[in-house]
Parts: sequence; C-alpha cells; structure tokens
Amino acid sequence: MEANINGMLEEIREANLTYLMLAQNMIREDKSQAMYRLGVTEDVAGIIEALTPAQLVKVAGTNQLVCRFACNDEMVWGLLTSHTKDRELAGVHVAILRAAEFAEAA
Amino acid sequence: MRHPSVVNEGHQIQIAMSLIRLGARLQVLESETRLSRERLLRLYKEMVGKSPPKGMLPFSTDWFMTWQPNIHSSLFINIYHGLLKGSELDGIDAVIKAYELYLEHLSVHKLQRVLSVTRAWRLVKFFEARMLQTAPCTKCGGHFVVHTLDLYDRFVCGLCHVPSRAGKTRKPKLLVSSQTH
Repeated sequence: MEANINGMLEEIREANLTYLMLAQNMIREDKSQAMYRLGVTEDVAGIIEALTPAQLVKVAGTNQLVCRFACNDEMVWGLLTSHTKDRELAGVHVAILRAAEFAEAA
Repeated sequence: MRHPSVVNEGHQIQIAMSLIRLGARLQVLESETRLSRERLLRLYKEMVGKSPPKGMLPFSTDWFMTWQPNIHSSLFINIYHGLLKGSELDGIDAVIKAYELYLEHLSVHKLQRVLSVTRAWRLVKFFEARMLQTAPCTKCGGHFVVHTLDLYDRFVCGLCHVPSRAGKTRKPKLLVSSQTH
C-alpha cells in the first residue's frame, strides 16, 4: 500500500514536470497559440513562461496534478467517446465547444 | 504614412507573405497592408509563380449559412474570438493565427478545407459590419454563425440536428483519400 502510494506520487510529480515543461516550451514558441492550446489566460501564461527550472521542479513536487481535465462537460465527453456519430463531425463539434470555452474563460 | 519606417514595412511584408502562403486573394492583401498594389503583385508572382486570379471576391453572407460552410466558419470564428479576447493579437494578425489553427484542426482530423482564408477574412468583416453574429445552440451550447436580424431563442445548430442529406457528397472523396495513404 505504502509502496503503491509512493509510486503514484512519483508518477504525479513526473506528469506535472512534463506538463509544465511542455507548457513553458509552447508559450515561449508562440504565446497566443499556446494560450489557445492550454486554455490559460495571458497573465497565467506570463507566469509559466518566467518560471525557472528550480521553480518548475518545486511546483511539480506536490501530491496533486497541476493539470486537470479540460472538459467537465458531459456533452463533450459524449461526443468524444460516441461510436454512433460521424467521428469527423464529432471532432469539429468538440473543437467549436472548446474554442468557445477558451473565449469565455479569457 | 508618408515616411514608412523600414521596420514597419518589414512587418507589412511579413503579413502579406503569410496571407499569400495561406492562399489569400490580392484584394485581401491590398486591404490589410499598406504596400502598393505593384509591390503586392510582384510579391505574389514571386511566391506563387503566377499572376493572382482576377474577378470579384465572394460577397454573400448566405454561403456561411449552408450546412458544411457554417460548421467550418463557426469553428474559425470561435478560435478567432478566443484569440481576440485571450491574447494580445488583433486585426489581421489574429485572423492569420486563427486560420492557421483552423488548418491545423483540419489536418489532425483529415478534413478537407472548406473555408478559404479569403472567406475567413470576409467572415470577420461581416462580423465587424454586424451583418453576421454567433448564436448559442440550445442543445450543445456551442456558438454558431447566424444572420444578425433573425430570432434565435430556439436555435439548434447543424451538428446537433444534422440535415438528412448533409455531408453525403463528401464521404466518397474521403474514402478515396484514405485509401491512397
């Protein structure tokens, strides 16, 4: 049990670090595009961009994930996992809904 | 702009080149850059290798209401609005970036390009002129391109309620392209 939890914590830390580094690279490459992909505001993007490697490691080292599921919406999950619908149509549908979310969150 | 600075001109040329690369018509370049028509023509010929097509731009808002164009236009305009609100981009820079993200979506999902960059640019102009707007679908909550003056309190989008014949002509083409890969 103890070993299990330690293993999971290790995995969370690794996922966090990978995610933060990817986010930082994306923001440095092209900020506005990265904001669309990450779904974060300009202020948050600015903070992530400026994090030092030591800070990245520190932020990553917790027992919670720094990223969370982008859609809490049953509608979107239904579209993503549905087998009956046309898959291309479902893909466009999800993209439209998520782009609108991005516009509203900003 | 009597004395255009070199830096500014460099930016103008960059905009023109991005638009030409995305397949824009000359009228778009003329409207969005301060470069002279002659310089734009030369740039166009140099990049594309032939003279730009002549003739008028598509000017009707009705095209955006037909089923498949409406879906593609709605995707583009949602991305565009997100960039306008969320990032520091505006004007033609936001149009270019949103269009690139739209193309990226098409290539990830192996879809055909329905909305040209010229149409996308027109779409933004129609929004600015308040001839078109978005309305929320009462089923999925997504925002879709609609005419400004109609009523939309019971609006259902073309994806929640797919017309019976919609997209039927597209299928065979997609099958062919997936076989050749």
